[in-house]
Amino acid sequence: MFKKTWYLYLFVYVVLLGLLYLSFQRIDYQWNWSVIWDYREKLSQGWLMTLKISAVALILSVVWGWVLMLMQRGPALLKSFSLTWVHLMRGTPLLVQILLFFYVIANAAGLDNRFWLSVLILSNFSAAYISEIFRSALESIPKSQWDAARSIGLEPWQTYKEVIGPQLIKIALPALGGQFASIVKDSSLLSIIAVSEFTLNAQEVNSLTYSTLEVYLPLAFGYLLITAPITWFAHRMERRLHYEF
Amino acid sequence: MGAPSKVLKVGMELAYPPFEMTDKAGKPDGISVGIAKALGKKLNRTVQIENMSFDGLIPALKTGSIDLVISSLTVNEERKKSIDFSTPYVKTGLALLVGSDTKIQNEEDLKKAGTRVAVKKGTTAHAWASKNLPKAKLLVLDKETSAVLEVVQKKADAFIYDQMSVYKHWIKNRNTTRALLKAFQEESWAIGIKKGNKKLVEDVNQFIQEFRKEQGFDNLATEYLGEEKQVFKELGVNFIL
Repeated sequence: MFKKTWYLYLFVYVVLLGLLYLSFQRIDYQWNWSVIWDYREKLSQGWLMTLKISAVALILSVVWGWVLMLMQRGPALLKSFSLTWVHLMRGTPLLVQILLFFYVIANAAGLDNRFWLSVLILSNFSAAYISEIFRSALESIPKSQWDAARSIGLEPWQTYKEVIGPQLIKIALPALGGQFASIVKDSSLLSIIAVSEFTLNAQEVNSLTYSTLEVYLPLAFGYLLITAPITWFAHRMERRLHYEF
Repeated sequence: MGAPSKVLKVGMELAYPPFEMTDKAGKPDGISVGIAKALGKKLNRTVQIENMSFDGLIPALKTGSIDLVISSLTVNEERKKSIDFSTPYVKTGLALLVGSDTKIQNEEDLKKAGTRVAVKKGTTAHAWASKNLPKAKLLVLDKETSAVLEVVQKKADAFIYDQMSVYKHWIKNRNTTRALLKAFQEESWAIGIKKGNKKLVEDVNQFIQEFRKEQGFDNLATEYLGEEKQVFKELGVNFIL
């Protein structure tokens, strides 16, 4: 479907870029693109940092999200902890969580590795959403499958691996793809605790050169460069898994 | 951009007491607000305060969404390339807030490799540190309060900021910080105006001259900075409004 209508997508891109161009034309602003080139190293360092944080946070949030979901199916104490935790993380802004975890909780615990703390804070935030994605995917799988698996003598872990797992991934994938892209974008909030990621570096270039608008376009493009492959990969997996069942 | 509108839009970041701040009801307040109001009266225009982040002020001026910046804005060469300045109305300088257990005595000590230096994004301290401290680990923060917290929690060794603020933060955190108030870069503050608006620059300059003559700045300083003014006089710190 995508291949046959590629020119329509191209058309949409051209129209959107055209509108952006016209908007830029309308504002009375002196452009100075050379500064972007002067600061290319700083910008690419920030971009790499964002990539690194996002990649690690992506993996950790899947693991922690899975654990949180399992807790909800376990003993009452774990269940109530997990439900409360997910509720708190989903109900408060990431910005507040970053400040509280970094300046209060981590400080009280004597931790001050900026990189790992920011990865943990971001993973934890995202894991709350991912646990919900896993939970709803799991609940959508008919209970009878568990019974069927047990009747042919599969252990619970075998049931997860052979029966439930593959279906779970397929059901959860569209939502997971979106959540992964969110991790990348949300990492920009880490700039408030001086993590030298892409957005902070771009803002620094802004404020050192006063060329605000010139930096925004490479900034948007840089994030797309990370999120686009994630979205593309999720789509591809979705289609491949679709044929399998 | 057509005829000048009757409203005078003044941009400032209301996060720098007692110069730019909000009162308990959330209304703009402070020395700069007082200056803006007096200027509006003189130019016979209604003043509208636009609150925005500090590093957004100059871009806002450039795109014409505000007419003036009165936000403790330091005059420097880099900024002069993008905007015009009035004559200065405040003299101050960069000083250091350092952790009480550090051995830092002056700005030279910051040059050692690995020194963790906090700055507020877009300030002249940020520019100074980017240029002069290539070996230090620079922590660029959005909020002044976060930068102070970094020093208090020993996550940073020093915070570079203006003398007045450094003094104020040291008073609040006497046990965890030291203030090195000797200015190592003299600075002055002026009103920022969009490039090429000659008439407005002239009007503003004339206002500053008159306002100084009628003790306007002095009265505002006494109203908002009574105690600090006295301390700085005793310390021999050159801070003139």
